[in-house]
Amino acid sequence: MAQLAFYFNTARCTGCKACMVACQDKHDLPAETRWRRVAEYSGGEWTRNNDNTFTQNVFAYYMSVACNHCERPICQEVCPAAAITKRDDGIVLIDEDKCIGCRYCEWACPYSAPQFNEDTGTMTKCTMCVDYIDEGQDPACVTACPSRALEIGELEELRAKYGDLAEVAPLPEAALTEPALVIQPSAKVKPVESGAGMLANPKEV
Amino acid sequence: MDVREWALIAFTILSQMAVGSFIVLGIVYFFVNRKWGEAEADRFSDRALLAIGPVLILGTLASLFHLGNPLNAYRAISNIGESWLSREILTNVLFIGLGAVFAFMQWRKIGSPALRTAIAAVAAIVGVVLVYSMAQVYMLRTAPAWNTIATPITFFTTTFLLGALAVGAAYVVNYAMIKRSDPDCAAAQCDILRLALRWLALAAVLLVGVHLVVQPLYVAYLSNSGTAAASEAVDILMGEYSVLFALRLALVFVGAAILGAFIYRTASTPGREMVLGNLAILAFAVVLVAEVMGRFLFYAMQTNVGL
Repeated sequence: MAQLAFYFNTARCTGCKACMVACQDKHDLPAETRWRRVAEYSGGEWTRNNDNTFTQNVFAYYMSVACNHCERPICQEVCPAAAITKRDDGIVLIDEDKCIGCRYCEWACPYSAPQFNEDTGTMTKCTMCVDYIDEGQDPACVTACPSRALEIGELEELRAKYGDLAEVAPLPEAALTEPALVIQPSAKVKPVESGAGMLANPKEV
Repeated sequence: MDVREWALIAFTILSQMAVGSFIVLGIVYFFVNRKWGEAEADRFSDRALLAIGPVLILGTLASLFHLGNPLNAYRAISNIGESWLSREILTNVLFIGLGAVFAFMQWRKIGSPALRTAIAAVAAIVGVVLVYSMAQVYMLRTAPAWNTIATPITFFTTTFLLGALAVGAAYVVNYAMIKRSDPDCAAAQCDILRLALRWLALAAVLLVGVHLVVQPLYVAYLSNSGTAAASEAVDILMGEYSVLFALRLALVFVGAAILGAFIYRTASTPGREMVLGNLAILAFAVVLVAEVMGRFLFYAMQTNVGL
């Protein structure tokens, strides 16, 4: 089976976080557990011109991020309990019955996808709504997006349609884990590690 | 920093101290055995060998407090093929097992000395692999502040520095016990103690030099490496924890270099065993505190690339 992937259009996202809330609702997650988060990356400055006018290059854009069900999932590599598996369709899942709660995957993942559940003492993360996928439906985040910025599909098809960009600030370099992610950039989008802006909502992601 | 991080600090420090102690003890035993014979060598170091057991067990128990789901702890060796954490736990268990077998045989004088030496050598190699695995656990390609050569160098330096000083302190305690119960046989033991502490002090001075060279180079490297995660880690070390970092370097210098030099000088002249013993125990205590602080800072610098 082909690897499934998320597609995200930075030009369309308005930062409303409906995807995040739909995810928390679907999976009945507590407020502090956010399998899908919306990062706000912003920066720029005002410069004074010779004639005392000002020019600005201020920018901001959103990046909705969940587990990217990587083709080289570092969480699976490092998990000492072999509790993380990758299905034939590429979906990366944590088996909570096997998880020892060491949180090593949390250190390793550059997307903060695995999150600790204080109640069960185990790790949890985005399942790509695997139950919906198996019924032929789209994940909750995708159907909730009012601006159609999120899609799901086969990685190769999405790449053929939208290109193969999988890294923009504030995401990590794609080469590290080969995320199953296709990003449609907007004019404002900055490259990885550009240092041009900053994560404006660190407590939300 | 919560109880889970403290569990890791305790586990890594105690396990490294145990491995270092085991190897240092073996090296000292080899030379003492050659010069004074087996009986004196056994009397000099058997108690210290047995003391490593509780240190290892304590460290391993501490590691369980790091787990959210300790009932599943036995599953931690399920991914030997890929996960350094699995390899760390496996080598830790093997080191405990081999160390226990050797300590029991040595204590009860079971088997020939050659057989015991062979088991000890295998245990020492497993111990080195354990410390190497511990370092590899943190050398994640997504964690630039940890993924440097400074991690294994620092772990091994801590291993042998704490090992040398812990063994030195254990020799002092053992000597005091021998002297109390059997003052007549203490003369040879006294010579051995002074010679052993001289060499251990010299080793400590050299090892602390490694820390004091590597730490500034490491900070300079991180500052220039350019990734946001590395800069963030430097900011944590040089900002929020700058006082602790300075104190850690000062303490390790005082404990290993200054007290080490005093131990070296005091050990040269006979008749000052009381002072020598106190210095050796103080040096161990100071360096242990400094190394715990260093490990705390290591975990505090946990940053990874991306989100």
